[in-house]
Amino acid sequence: MSAVQVVGTSKIFNEGSAKQVDAIVEVNLTVESGEFVSLIGPSGCGKSTLLRLIANLLEPTQGVVSVNGKTAAQARLDQDYGMAFQQAGLFDWRTVGKNIELPLELKGWDKTKRAKRAEEMLHLVKLPEFAEMYPWQLSGGMQQRIAIARALAAHPPLLLMDEPFGALDEMTREYMQGELLRICAETSTTVVFVTHSIPEAVYLSNRVVVMSPRPGRIVEIIDVNLGAKRTEDTRAAEGFFRSITAVREALRGTHADHVAATAIRGVEDR
Amino acid sequence: MTLVGRIAYRTSMFVLAIAAIIGAWELYKLIGPQGGGKFFGVSILPRANNNAMPHVWDMFSRFGRPEVRGSDRKIWVVVLSGAWFSLRLSFVGFLLGSTVGVGLAVLMTRFRIVQRGLLPYLVMSQTVPLIALAPLVVSWGGKLEIGSFVWPRWLSASILGMFLAFFPIAVGTLRGLASAPSAAMELMESYAASWKQTLFKLRFPAAVPFMVPAFKLAASGAVVGVVVAEISTGLKGGIGRLIIEYAREATGDPAKVFTAVFGAAALGLTMSGIVAVSDLLLMRNRPKETTT
Repeated sequence: MSAVQVVGTSKIFNEGSAKQVDAIVEVNLTVESGEFVSLIGPSGCGKSTLLRLIANLLEPTQGVVSVNGKTAAQARLDQDYGMAFQQAGLFDWRTVGKNIELPLELKGWDKTKRAKRAEEMLHLVKLPEFAEMYPWQLSGGMQQRIAIARALAAHPPLLLMDEPFGALDEMTREYMQGELLRICAETSTTVVFVTHSIPEAVYLSNRVVVMSPRPGRIVEIIDVNLGAKRTEDTRAAEGFFRSITAVREALRGTHADHVAATAIRGVEDR
Repeated sequence: MTLVGRIAYRTSMFVLAIAAIIGAWELYKLIGPQGGGKFFGVSILPRANNNAMPHVWDMFSRFGRPEVRGSDRKIWVVVLSGAWFSLRLSFVGFLLGSTVGVGLAVLMTRFRIVQRGLLPYLVMSQTVPLIALAPLVVSWGGKLEIGSFVWPRWLSASILGMFLAFFPIAVGTLRGLASAPSAAMELMESYAASWKQTLFKLRFPAAVPFMVPAFKLAASGAVVGVVVAEISTGLKGGIGRLIIEYAREATGDPAKVFTAVFGAAALGLTMSGIVAVSDLLLMRNRPKETTT
């Protein structure tokens, strides 16, 4: 059973009006269980829209989205996925522990079970001593780790991430990438990851989905063969650079009819 | 700053402000015109004589003397019990106003159409002069019966307190409930949280920084409403009644009316004090930049 299946899906905003935007058109994508798939493309290519369709935060105009063999709507009701955004989005008025407990609270878990799970999650993200602190007392990277802990608290099989490390500095970002891979391996979570960064997409993913803007389409899906276990050495490996080049060329291709200078606007080349 | 430090700082600033007001008062008495002053034929400067502006020490010493000559009830006892009476009415008005205000805000958040239809009327309601409304509401006293419940006269004063209290709360809470960031709303949606869960776990906590100043305004509004209702209808027992009674004696005993005015001020301070304490408690774990 595939973790995510997107079939012939389009999303058109303001259909029929002058402000009509074809966010994504005729997208087909299958993500297998345990896979790490990144969505990359210039601003406005609909990668966040695609993620929100999978999350059932948006309804497709056309086509079918299924998650874990269920409709996307049912998967959302069953909390089959966790979600993390660019802003950690922790609640200021809750302690770190209580933030992680939020999805469990909404599911109606009892107090002791919640506290136990929150503690497990804090260990998983290596911040065990922070349960009683408040989010605003933590650094950006720590906040993002708590957000991941919260997203995974209910042990969902799927994690959806929308540029989660976009607001972090480069050093923290690389550290977080390593941590994310470790966490996902430990919990065997499937990930769909939206990013602007080519190296980030390549380092993290089994497959990189390259999208083109207006209308948003998948132009190419690039397999990254860097092995299951990735370390800091991976960043210096030849295969890493080869894949980066492949993704970059695919991105260039999305702009064949554009001026080169504006070609990869919105995509960070780092 | 620690909680104790912040309280100490606020208290000392308060004392300083009082001292500055007393100083300004006495200074004006010293240099102001005794018979009042005119600018271009309009009398605008208040009289600085002892009848219009008694000395501060006269006003305070008046508290220690009997209310009427020969009586053994000291005036501070009378003023204090009057203030206590009005405080209770104000508190009832404040509670009613909070319930109505928060209720309306929730309703307006839930149903956009209610917000569009109701909000202009709420704004308009605040333009009705309280003095015009007071006799009407007070006339319900003793006449209105709902089942076995007979409308007591004091409740009318509380209703007028409510009338001034609910508006800032409704508007402040409405803004606060809408202040939850869209990413947080999306997160709750991704958890398939119900509207009620989102309201209590996200919207209300996010609204607290907006609600606290609204409640402060409402607390003083409730006091003003009650005192004005007492004054304009002569409701017995409260500080408002004392103000009109003592004002009649202003020529013979000018310091007397000020004791009642001080009582009213203390009343307002007590109400906002109650809210300020709950503010400190509610906001103690928030990022300090957002506290006011």
